Amino acid sequence: MTTEAVTMRQTPEPPRTTVGLVGWLRGNLFKSWIDSVVTLAVAAVVVYGLWTLIVWVIGPADFAAVYSRFKLYFVGQYPVEELWRPQLSLLGISVLAGMAWRRWSGSNRIGLVFAIGLIIVTVAIGVAPLQMGIVNRVMLLLNPFAVAGGYFAMHLPRIGGDRLFAYSTIAVVLISLFIIPGATWIPGLNPVDAQAIGGLMLNLWLAVIGIAGALPFGILLALGRRSKLPFVKALCIAYIELIRGVPLITLLFMSRHILPLAFPGSFSINELYLGAITITLFSSAYVAEIVRGGMAAVPNGQTEAARALGLRAWQTTLTVTLPQALRNIIPPMVSQFISLFKDTSLVFIIGMLDIIEMGKVTIQGNLEFTEHGREVYLFIGLVFWILTYGMSWVSRAIERALGVGIR
Amino acid sequence: MTTETSDVQRTDAFGQMPDEVKEILARPLQERDDIIICRNVYKWFGDFCVMNDVSIEVKRGEVMVIFGPSGSGKSTFIKMINRLEEHQRGDIIVDGIEMTNDIRNLDQIRREVGMVFQQFNLFPHMTVLGNVSLAPRRVRHLPRAEAESQAMELLERVGIPEQAAKYPAELSGGQQQRVAIARALAMEPRIMLFDEPTSALDPEMIKEVLDVMRELAETGMTMLCVTHEMGFAREVADRMAMFDEGSLVEVASPEKIFSEPDEERTQAFLRQIL
Repeated sequence: MTTEAVTMRQTPEPPRTTVGLVGWLRGNLFKSWIDSVVTLAVAAVVVYGLWTLIVWVIGPADFAAVYSRFKLYFVGQYPVEELWRPQLSLLGISVLAGMAWRRWSGSNRIGLVFAIGLIIVTVAIGVAPLQMGIVNRVMLLLNPFAVAGGYFAMHLPRIGGDRLFAYSTIAVVLISLFIIPGATWIPGLNPVDAQAIGGLMLNLWLAVIGIAGALPFGILLALGRRSKLPFVKALCIAYIELIRGVPLITLLFMSRHILPLAFPGSFSINELYLGAITITLFSSAYVAEIVRGGMAAVPNGQTEAARALGLRAWQTTLTVTLPQALRNIIPPMVSQFISLFKDTSLVFIIGMLDIIEMGKVTIQGNLEFTEHGREVYLFIGLVFWILTYGMSWVSRAIERALGVGIR
Repeated sequence: MTTETSDVQRTDAFGQMPDEVKEILARPLQERDDIIICRNVYKWFGDFCVMNDVSIEVKRGEVMVIFGPSGSGKSTFIKMINRLEEHQRGDIIVDGIEMTNDIRNLDQIRREVGMVFQQFNLFPHMTVLGNVSLAPRRVRHLPRAEAESQAMELLERVGIPEQAAKYPAELSGGQQQRVAIARALAMEPRIMLFDEPTSALDPEMIKEVLDVMRELAETGMTMLCVTHEMGFAREVADRMAMFDEGSLVEVASPEKIFSEPDEERTQAFLRQIL
């Protein structure tokens, strides 16, 4: 065949009804008369629901219970003069967002959307007509600059790069771990009463510490379960199966009420750390099983190739099998972390006031708000949805970025 | 870790041969020393005997092609040479090192012996350069720059330096297998094991891999190749070993195997595949 013949040949066009918006509608929503009926019925329900909601929001709904108690929902009863501490923690997260933006924006817009979202939220709160001191407003408005700082730090020659991102993440987690509750042994960081740490800050703090703890501990448990040493293996299996057999709410209750009975007098750990430790121990059992599944899915030939090259067993795990396993388990891992984040509200069982509990207290504690529970829960639901949807969105973006050129 | 187990200098993989090696290779096969010795080797998978009283010696610089029907124990045999499979009875001695469970022995043997697999088994999460420089960095503790420049040299030798920054999935099968050969050579082995290196390749890619193996054979590398490429065997092999049902049926030169093999089973198998 000559080149002319190739260029001469016409490619037939697809039928008009299968392309574009019309094609999509026909293919997906109106393929048969049953499809059409279902589509119209669902559309009617959705439109009616949305319409009712909108009419209610612009009409009788009164969000005073939300905006007059804004501080309670976000930072609980945290002392106002110490609010620079969670603010500093938030600035750290902004820096990380900027770094993520730089790191992954090459192939998609993960950091961009994350960073812009963060900037919009902080600026909106920073300039909103709320009862807030000037220092707090300024610190909130610094977040966009923190994002930019993180972005440009990744540009720095020699310093910038994955290692900087990893170290910064560890630093932000460690700073958040200590700066928010404070500690007697750190000058300038007076311990804050555990009960005063509440609202969304509590949920986020528990989630960040829980994830940061459950990931490494879960990986260790998974490696232990795959170990050839019978004792280590049995110990890990026993731990995982025991923890998975008990609901988190029971574990939290036991940590608060049974442990002090078992160790009378010597038990003085506060509820905040108790909650964080329990959530970490609980999640790590699930993380361990996810990691184990991911490791089992790495072909045996990978291990053989690494061993044949002379890598020791631990080197093979660290450089060959574990990285591949972790890459493959991003979706179930993020599900686990979303579930962990939502589970943090269970700490009400040990007397902590998270954002949902704050809502309940506000509704029940103020006569003028008792009729406005729906507004409060709509707001809380929206906050949870934004954060959990953000997590799954970021994970999909990371998957896409890592998927490039792999397999 | 750096103990030399033999007086012979390592061949710079693919590169110039030290005089001692040239001198050894100049000798006829029978007068060279044995680099691999297997004596009465047995292995079972459960009750099933996969390696039945195998005794064989491989000479330094020899290219031995191993063939036989599937399930005959060819792969198991070469995997015993670097202890990816353990033998259960008998002795295996590789370049003077006896195969035991002693971890130091194991480290030494795995440095002596490189391996190339049917399914390539490249590490999909690393670039080509990362694949080739991993073991030199982690096992021989070379600095990164040195390991990578050595890796680039090897990639040039196998003809694909321009692919260094790509990931394995972006390469053709033939290119992947050439990377796998470079990766094994990066540890500067004295023995190379090939486990059906061309069986997973499209026909037009087989040649590029066989060409690299042919060049490698010319540098005096001791090679054990499980392969069904009889043209390659006829041209490159010093001797051919026929396995069937876990036993070594016959070892002879290609000329003899192809014209007048002693064993009926060898004849029957060759009739089937030729």
